[in-house]
Amino acid sequence: MTKTIQHQYFFSQTPEVVWDYLTKSELMALWLMPNNFLPIEGRNFEFTTKPIPSLDLDGIFYCKVIEMLPCKKLVYSWKGGPGGGIMTFDTIVVWTLESKENGTELLLVHSGFNEVENYNLYLGMNDGWLKNIKKIEQLLNDKKNDETKP
Amino acid sequence: MTKQNLDIFQAIADPSRRAILKLLSKNTLTINSLAENFDMSRPAVSKHIKILCSAGFITIQDIGRERHCLLKPDGFNELQKWIEYFDKFWLTRLQKLETLLNNKLNN
Repeated sequence: MTKTIQHQYFFSQTPEVVWDYLTKSELMALWLMPNNFLPIEGRNFEFTTKPIPSLDLDGIFYCKVIEMLPCKKLVYSWKGGPGGGIMTFDTIVVWTLESKENGTELLLVHSGFNEVENYNLYLGMNDGWLKNIKKIEQLLNDKKNDETKP
Repeated sequence: MTKQNLDIFQAIADPSRRAILKLLSKNTLTINSLAENFDMSRPAVSKHIKILCSAGFITIQDIGRERHCLLKPDGFNELQKWIEYFDKFWLTRLQKLETLLNNKLNN
């Protein structure tokens, strides 16, 4: 079960090359999505893709460049919704590049689904559900027994 | 669908409601005993519970005169759906980037 969105990739290229693919609009479009990204902190931009019916998203991701440390770190916000200016979710995408001897280690962390990360506990708690349900059953049974007592 | 998604994210955007979920993850509690944990009126707590209920995070069982709250998987499953979607999304995009960069290297 996925609990946080995090991917680490190693590329044989230098951080400068990988950085270009993360921050040049036409290169980003090649692997990510068509966009009007500009590498300026505080700048709004959009990614456009096909609508995603299963999540009721119109296919436009509204983003804003939050932080840029050339060849090291890129942070942008990532929002989306069904259209009409409604935003269902408001998240953060963080790219971190680390220079290695023979390439670049790229780390992506997409977080902030309303602190959904904090719900790890519940998301994996099948035992917990069972325990709760059993407890309720017990309470109901106890009550029934009370009622049937003379 | 739209409304449901909004309900889910709005439901857990509030710190009090997250605290309610946290308490319920340890124990099923009555609305009264839940309210004792918060510095707000019982109607205010009830309102939060109603929101969590309609978003599918908790369910209420009436036992005698007591109303017991317990966690329900539906809301959490819906959240999981979003995480899984974007997890897969990034994975496929990064694979594409890898292919691109590998081709660049070979040419």
